[in-house]
Amino acid sequence: MMRRGRKGDPLAEQGIRNIDYKDEKLLQRFLTERGKILPARLSGISARHQRQLSTAIKRARFLALLPYIKRSGS
Amino acid sequence: MVRPYEVVYIFDSVLEEPQINEKLERFNALVASEGVEAPKLNHWGKRTLAYPIKKRETGYYVVANFSAESKALPEFERAIKLDEGVLRFLVVADDKDYTPSRQPGEGKFGEEDDE
Repeated sequence: MMRRGRKGDPLAEQGIRNIDYKDEKLLQRFLTERGKILPARLSGISARHQRQLSTAIKRARFLALLPYIKRSGS
Repeated sequence: MVRPYEVVYIFDSVLEEPQINEKLERFNALVASEGVEAPKLNHWGKRTLAYPIKKRETGYYVVANFSAESKALPEFERAIKLDEGVLRFLVVADDKDYTPSRQPGEGKFGEEDDE
């Protein structure tokens, strides 16, 4: 997940233009262990995608597809 | 103005499929208008919720895509809100295409740049 150095946007590489808030498997990749949104600095995605990602994750959380917080113990 | 919308419903999983269909039909009737095709429904079925909603651990998910008159929406949303069988719902404008334009590995985005 985390990349070093300057690499392309991993979502653009997959040909994704618009991020689907219903695709929780994809969104999961951009969350920390605790369920926070990963900074673009670590995931390497473009600013445009990061903006989309944040709305998509927030929608997915509202729909209980993703948790708001994850307990580290469980 | 007629616009495309997408609605995600989370029904209480104690409801039976016929009851859910009856409710969906009732909601859809509120946004139906002339010359607009019937909504495309996608039943995801029962899923475990990421966190409990109204003390329920599971929900029955249905995604609906349709075009509707924007004026009809407040009444539509009100009707859903009043329905006890719906744990939660989300209405969004459906103006995005989510299908990937390219297969992975194709195209030049994956290539190394010179920096």
